[in-house]
Amino acid sequence: MTEREAFLEGLAKKAGRPRHQLKDHPLVPVNDLPETTLADKSPAELAALAKTNSEAVHVTYQTTTTKDLPAALDAFIQAKAAKTLLLPTTDAYQRFGLEDWRQQVQPTPTYWVPGAGREANLKAAASAEAAIGFADFLLAESGTITAATTPGQGRAFHFLPTHYLAVIPASRIVARSRQAADWYDREIKAGRLQTSNINFITGPSNSGDIEMVLIVGVHGPLDMTYLVVEDQ
Amino acid sequence: MKVVIFSTCIVDLFFPNVGKAMVEVLERFGCDTEMPVKQICCGQPTFNSGYVKETQPVFRNQIDALLSIDADYIVGPAGSCVNMLREFQVQLKDDPEYAEKAKQVAAKTWEFSQFLYRVLGVLDAGAELDATATYHRSCHMTRLLGERTSPFVLLDHVKDLKMVPLPHIENCCGFGGLFSVKEPEISKQMVDEKVDDVISTGASVLISADPACLMNIAGRFNRRGEKIKIMHIAEVLNHNVDPSRVKYVPEAERDELYAGGYNQGFTQSDVKKEVGA
Amino acid sequence: MTIKTSNEPFLTRLKESEQDTFMQKAVAKAQDAQWDKRTAARNELGHWEQWRDLGEQIRQHVIRYLPDYLEEFADNIEKHGGHVFFAKTDKEASDFIKHLAEEKQVHHVVKSKSMVTTEIDLDKELLKIPGLSLLETDLAEFILQEDDWDEPTHIVFPTLHKNRDQIRTIFQKLGYTGDNDPQHLARFARTYLRASFLKADMGITGCNFGVADSGLINLVTNEGNADLVMAIPKTQVVVMGMERLVPSLKEAEVLDNMLARSAVGQKLTSYCSFSTRQVSGESDGPEDFYVVIVDNGRSNALGTPFEPVLQCIRCGACLNVCPVYRHIGGHGYGSIYPGPIGAVLSPVLRGYEQFGDLPFASSLCGACTETCPVRIPLHELLIKHRQVMMNKLHTDKSFNNVIMKGIGVATSTPAMFRMALTADHVAMAPLTKHAPITVENEYPEGIIRKAPSMAKGWTDVRDLPEMPKHSENFRSWFKQHHKEQEAKQDD
Repeated sequence: MTEREAFLEGLAKKAGRPRHQLKDHPLVPVNDLPETTLADKSPAELAALAKTNSEAVHVTYQTTTTKDLPAALDAFIQAKAAKTLLLPTTDAYQRFGLEDWRQQVQPTPTYWVPGAGREANLKAAASAEAAIGFADFLLAESGTITAATTPGQGRAFHFLPTHYLAVIPASRIVARSRQAADWYDREIKAGRLQTSNINFITGPSNSGDIEMVLIVGVHGPLDMTYLVVEDQ
Repeated sequence: MKVVIFSTCIVDLFFPNVGKAMVEVLERFGCDTEMPVKQICCGQPTFNSGYVKETQPVFRNQIDALLSIDADYIVGPAGSCVNMLREFQVQLKDDPEYAEKAKQVAAKTWEFSQFLYRVLGVLDAGAELDATATYHRSCHMTRLLGERTSPFVLLDHVKDLKMVPLPHIENCCGFGGLFSVKEPEISKQMVDEKVDDVISTGASVLISADPACLMNIAGRFNRRGEKIKIMHIAEVLNHNVDPSRVKYVPEAERDELYAGGYNQGFTQSDVKKEVGA
Repeated sequence: MTIKTSNEPFLTRLKESEQDTFMQKAVAKAQDAQWDKRTAARNELGHWEQWRDLGEQIRQHVIRYLPDYLEEFADNIEKHGGHVFFAKTDKEASDFIKHLAEEKQVHHVVKSKSMVTTEIDLDKELLKIPGLSLLETDLAEFILQEDDWDEPTHIVFPTLHKNRDQIRTIFQKLGYTGDNDPQHLARFARTYLRASFLKADMGITGCNFGVADSGLINLVTNEGNADLVMAIPKTQVVVMGMERLVPSLKEAEVLDNMLARSAVGQKLTSYCSFSTRQVSGESDGPEDFYVVIVDNGRSNALGTPFEPVLQCIRCGACLNVCPVYRHIGGHGYGSIYPGPIGAVLSPVLRGYEQFGDLPFASSLCGACTETCPVRIPLHELLIKHRQVMMNKLHTDKSFNNVIMKGIGVATSTPAMFRMALTADHVAMAPLTKHAPITVENEYPEGIIRKAPSMAKGWTDVRDLPEMPKHSENFRSWFKQHHKEQEAKQDD
């Protein structure tokens, strides 16, 4: 018997229950609150909720249009007086009409480059004063953005830079974490999404470990901006 | 209607005035009261200390005693003990002889203030008390019996009585039955905070629906040499009563009130059906 | 540190806690603030009791089919090229990780907060390796480490017992020169720890929930340290209690919501991540991924009335509502798992010899049971522990045991109780005479200031009412009253 088998057999024996019963007794939830909560909200109501709840977690919440997006991003970089800028490698630039913008943006960006390796990408992220990333969803209920790790937008992309902005299409504002979890679950199981990591990020990092005083900005970014593109 | 008085050992042993006040109020509202002499105790002292097996005879004796008189209701002056009576049905669910009887007991047992408000529909008991008071909510009455409303409604209608909220009302007073005896070092700190909170309200009277909590808080007040007057809610509702002041809850709201007081959310007729009464 | 944090007897620990007035004030303040935040967060969600039904159901289902879920989970981790090690004991778990660190010639370990690694004393074991350095990166755990591995006092707020001046002194040893402003202290920690992250070659995390059908590890933090631990080092070791699984992402998502609202009154924690071994094309994240699944006494609960304790999602809400924890703090319990959950869990993990005092350190007020998001009947399990201990004591002839059994007999025997009520308790009289009475309407018969035997615990702290004479007790009054009523009716 393998160690694992011995371990599991031991548990079954202690519990006094036979193994391999799960197939016939799958979990059937006692209620559908995860789905029904906030299900009656219109897109406009969800957008309003998203704004309120994001601001409640110290996020700078902004909206723009595809046309004004480059200017909004420039304004962010200027406001943070960032001397270094990190951008992901992604086809999103095309979708958001940012191809020209990224050729001329100041400061000249460094990219999270697929295949550049751990050290180079981490170095780029750690020395970035500002990062602009693309999120998959914005959750109205909690003011949360979600992003699955991709070769062009790695895990540390969201954590090492000092100031962080996420671009979110308005069409991707959903009610709750349930809708996002369902989407990831489906995409991964269907093989359409290959990722090792999904981040749900709700505002800048914080801690109450010193006398329960809220400190914003501990290990992750010191501040966060959500930029919702209304016509996307 | 006939009401069996569940006297509780603490009232039997220490607080005759609480029992008297409860009986007088109930009779004022048309109850015929009876008190089976064989009743003793709900069993919490031993049960909560882990002497579960040793407590089974206590449960059975109490059930036999309380059912020995055919009454419509069983009413007691202590939220914690009343909850234990309702809990008998869980503890005795596999007892072939007592499972059914325990259910019957549970279905007709009420704490005094909730009986007045939810069953008799009394809103204003006609009492008067010219004082500033605060109310200690017992943990078992609130969390286990689930009664968070009745005492407050009744006290709000007492003439000239000014109620002040008690800070940290959610925290235990440190009684906990034999906890107070077995862990005096912890219990003392808990009851000290409770005494401090009561003092901070400026109230001259401390009211509760659990005589054991009152005994604990009062005992610490007295040991510290602090002044307070202790009143069980039955004593307050029996104070300077003018029957012309009595007011009832509108008939249409009674069913909902009744259902809210019974943990399972049953209406009065459901309960009667359930126990074949 | 192991589960047991102190070799002092319980009473000594209580005395020490009582003297720690800063701790007491800090805990009370935290409890009061959390009470409001938690209640608001739950009310905002709506249908909280039904959410609890769902949370309970998910956890009970996982515990019921635990071996099946563990099998599925382990298969999925291995499918992604990760490794799974099942550890029956704390030693097996820490030995495995230690050997791994030696084999990989690890120099610098970064850790994110994990109760189970504290439980298996992992830090101390790893630091035995020559040349290995290790840093806790959760701000609170970092403070405790730099304060010579001080004991945590709360499972969610480990440094609740420390004030900003103490923290400043601790940081000064690391070169901090600023004031005691929490913001400045935290910025210093950020800089200090950032350097350490970037050179780390092994990351160790706990696990909030393991997702069985995908092998993903779900971790939640507010600081973001766990994510850096999972992103930067080449090797990651996840250490988890064997019961911490969920069937799929859906249930993880449900419990993350309930955990955040219960633990800190937030809708979600700042960071909530689901991760596994790096996949092809990615640059960061672990290339070598190990999951250590730990029993260490948990299985003692299986098949017993204590099984519900395994439902726990470590939100700490029961600590935040507990009036006993409020006064004695985490150190009073002498276990890394304090509060109501600790009083139930610690004896399950390590037995009554070590933790038999804890189930009695509760007034059974039920605040824990009421707040538990997954409906663990905590106060009932405390009674169960007492029951098990008392059954073991069955032949015990100790004074209190004999008295308790006597009370059982007396309260079930009407004749004996009537005798007790008829006695006029004259023996107590001399003790009552001169004590002053400041409380009105409680002591018509006087007070007892010094009672013997079991009641001593009562009168050590407070006065006891003297019992009324037989002729004046409630039952005598009622008998008389009834006679009068009947006489009236006859008129």
